[in-house]
Amino acid sequence: MKYFITRLLRSLLTLIIVVTVVFLLMRMMPVEGYFGASFDKLDEAQKVAKLENLGLLDPWYIQLKDFYVDLLNGDLGESITYRPKVAITKILGDKLLISLRFGFASLCLSLVVGLSLGILMARFKGKLWDKLGTWYVVGANAVPAVIYYLLIQVFFTDIFNLPLLFDKSDPKSWILPVFCLSLVNIAYYAMWIRRYMVDELNKDYVRLARAKGLKNKEIMLKHVMRNAFVPMAQYLPASILYTVSGSIYVESLFSIPGTGGLLVTAIQRQDNSLVQSLVLLYSSIGIIGLMLGDILMATFDPRIKLGSGGGSR
Amino acid sequence: MTSKKIINKMADNIDPSLFEFAEYDETKGELSGYSNYSFWRSTVQVFMKNKVALALLIVIAAVVAFTLIQPYLPNQKSPTQIYINPETGMQFRNVRPNGEFWFGTNSIGQDLWARIWSGTRTSLFIGFAVGLFEAIVGITIGALWGYVRKLDALITEIYNVWDNIPSTVVLIILTYIMKPSISTIIFAMCMTGWLQMARFVRNLIIIIRDREYNLASRCLGTPASRIITKNLLPYLVSVIMLRMALAIPAAIGNEVFLSYIGMGLPIDIPSLGNLINEGRSLMMDPNQRYQLFFPAVVISVVTISFYVIGNVFADSADPRNHV
Amino acid sequence: MGHKSIEEIINSEVILSVDDLVIKFNLRGQELTAIRGASLDLHKGESLAIVGESGSGKSVFTKTFMGLLDANGRIEEGTIMYKGEDLAKYKTEDEWIKIRGKEIAMVFQDPMTSLNPLKTIGKQVQESIELHQNLKGEEAKKLTLEILNDVGISEPEKRYKQYPHEFSGGMRQRVVIAIAVACNPNVLICDEPTTALDVTIQAQILQLLKNLQEKYNLTIIYITHDLGVVANVADRIAVMYAGDIVELGTADEVFFDPKHPYTWALLSSLPQLGIKGEPLYSISGTPPNLFKEIVGDAFAPRNPKALKIDFIERPPYFQVSQTHKARTWLLDPRAPKVEPPVMIQKMREKWGGADEK
Repeated sequence: MKYFITRLLRSLLTLIIVVTVVFLLMRMMPVEGYFGASFDKLDEAQKVAKLENLGLLDPWYIQLKDFYVDLLNGDLGESITYRPKVAITKILGDKLLISLRFGFASLCLSLVVGLSLGILMARFKGKLWDKLGTWYVVGANAVPAVIYYLLIQVFFTDIFNLPLLFDKSDPKSWILPVFCLSLVNIAYYAMWIRRYMVDELNKDYVRLARAKGLKNKEIMLKHVMRNAFVPMAQYLPASILYTVSGSIYVESLFSIPGTGGLLVTAIQRQDNSLVQSLVLLYSSIGIIGLMLGDILMATFDPRIKLGSGGGSR
Repeated sequence: MTSKKIINKMADNIDPSLFEFAEYDETKGELSGYSNYSFWRSTVQVFMKNKVALALLIVIAAVVAFTLIQPYLPNQKSPTQIYINPETGMQFRNVRPNGEFWFGTNSIGQDLWARIWSGTRTSLFIGFAVGLFEAIVGITIGALWGYVRKLDALITEIYNVWDNIPSTVVLIILTYIMKPSISTIIFAMCMTGWLQMARFVRNLIIIIRDREYNLASRCLGTPASRIITKNLLPYLVSVIMLRMALAIPAAIGNEVFLSYIGMGLPIDIPSLGNLINEGRSLMMDPNQRYQLFFPAVVISVVTISFYVIGNVFADSADPRNHV
Repeated sequence: MGHKSIEEIINSEVILSVDDLVIKFNLRGQELTAIRGASLDLHKGESLAIVGESGSGKSVFTKTFMGLLDANGRIEEGTIMYKGEDLAKYKTEDEWIKIRGKEIAMVFQDPMTSLNPLKTIGKQVQESIELHQNLKGEEAKKLTLEILNDVGISEPEKRYKQYPHEFSGGMRQRVVIAIAVACNPNVLICDEPTTALDVTIQAQILQLLKNLQEKYNLTIIYITHDLGVVANVADRIAVMYAGDIVELGTADEVFFDPKHPYTWALLSSLPQLGIKGEPLYSISGTPPNLFKEIVGDAFAPRNPKALKIDFIERPPYFQVSQTHKARTWLLDPRAPKVEPPVMIQKMREKWGGADEK
């Protein structure tokens, strides 16, 4: 118990520092950004008035204090430039849900395909499956994602007659985006489970299992796979939580109104409140996900006793 | 197998004088040992065995060489000049690849062949620069982090905070503050990239410090320079080479991302990111797809090559594979 | 020494017969000959110890009996006859499944890593039972508890549910032994079973193995470099050097009447034979490089009493008694008479020779 409390507090501290740093960084952005196209047209007084309205003229520590006070009241504030005066919670609400659904569908697909691929690769190490899988992983990791997303959009819409853009009423329009989202994750899961399985296969207890008279298949199923999955459990909760942050590429390419491009747009529009809220959200997810991951791993591995040393990462 | 049988068989063949004592040379007993092992030689050997990596190494060397000599070859066009059709007085817009424009032209009449090679040059330059700076900054910080125990806690906290800030945020904000240009991009990528290198170096240093074979070396009076070159360097160099090799695809990816959201290099500087963007706007037209296709192929070849070479090299440098 | 007399052992049937085994490995592009024509007969019910330095090939030799050779190794020549079949010819997993566990089982050296850390030890022992003894569920569990008891684990019910990391080194080795015994094998190969354990635990484990041998009718092969262990348990001893069995005999014969210069050197190295104030004996030089082909007697370069022919021609086995043979030219009638070193005589004085047969 004590371990969790200390951990939570440390995470909280990190979180506060992170948000503050971003807060300050945002304040370093050029002032023109708050005005957009109308910058040249306004005179000095009007600019000052607008900045004051946005609360940007107060000293930075006052702004910071206001932010945290509001936060504790559950108020993330209003968007200042993205959708002026609209409560951020409202903006986020819908978008989060959409990204979540896509992300979740993609997660399920990635896990099933990725883990299966990785297990095949480990089982037939050096043979065809392994070679094919390796090429796939290389391609997915090396080449910038946007490139194959574009190519998929170009060619698959023709070949498979699939819709180009997302349409709520057309279930077929889910296929390409979910597919694209999964590509990178499949490579990720496949690579890791393969690596863990190969590591396990080299261990002494596998040697003993073989000497006992267990067949290779039995060794894989009953001993190796389960053991290899344990380190993967660490990443699982974080992956689930991260589904709320959609992919900027996929969502913009397929016109999905999710959270994907929101962060980028927010920064570009210099919507400080929105940026802060998003950073807060993503960082919290990261930290909570990590903690849940550690808990999950501890339930699977009887050797792990939480609370013994270790750094934050 | 009775001895009688054997002796009878051989009795005739053996010269009795052989049953005298031989001269005992104590040093002859030491002539064994598999001391032909050389770390780097084994690394290269294992690397060479991987035909794919070898092929890609040649490919990427050729590509890099070509990007450097291309401007000096005869009949090359300028990447920024807009070409005007002398007959019609109109720009050579969106011309498909032909004898004059090997890769075609883009929507304002610039030669895509020249643009692609110029863009590759720029992107490779950015990638190398980022890799190099990341290495320098990362190694320095990592070394301090691992070596100076007092700094460990402080730098760990800094690392945690920095790691938690989404790198996109940092990239975009920095680009905004400093206005897009080549040096901005390099700086911004380094700011987010040094983390990984620093952590690797720091972990290595901690391992080096505490591993028993290094303690043993120190006990034997091995000078620090030899410990560094024989124990530490093989590890370090392979990790650094891997990270540098991977930094290039990463940098290209980042650059493409920034261009995608409009924060990339100014469009008068051709870069692979810009070219992809240009190609993207026209990709749904089957006739114009080449504008996306060519840069995509070049990016794929370059990124895959570096990725594979880096990974295979790292695997080759792992002594467990030196069988 | 031992439960059966030597006569009984020699006259009992030969269950495993290895003839002229040659094993090679592909290493860094070169070929290494790990075993250079070794031969051995294993009699039912005996305790055979294979002794040798690290790198002499002891483990490799026995791994081939179960098909546990590394992927880059292969049997080049020779036969391994077991129950009428030549194990050296086995290639597929299905063939080896018939042998592993059921006929021949192995106890490995390092108990800390031999067990699956994420499974209870009860399940790991029960797995052997369910595999080889045709029992499942409750019946298998009952037998598991019985075996756990036999190997000296107290409170088997409680221990059944525990994980390896909750056991000490000695206890873990008992579990590994339990797993091996649960397979109901004919032959048990113990590869340095006590090397990783405390000295105090060593004696316990050896005694345990002796007890189990009686109860379960096992034939045991001990692989070890520790002559103290050998003295404790072995009926017969095979001395290995550079991939070859250079001397083979009963324990008494090998300890008190050794014939091969390497055995002399080995025994002389026992610290117990040292005289206070004088330097301890050690064999000079290092074992030969097995990448190169060895001409003559492998031990010759390190042997002060080597004959010229030792460098030219490989010595055949010379029979010293019905049970004792050694590969050395010194036993050839034409060779000069060589007395074993002083150390050996001291051994006879110190420890017997009284019960010579």
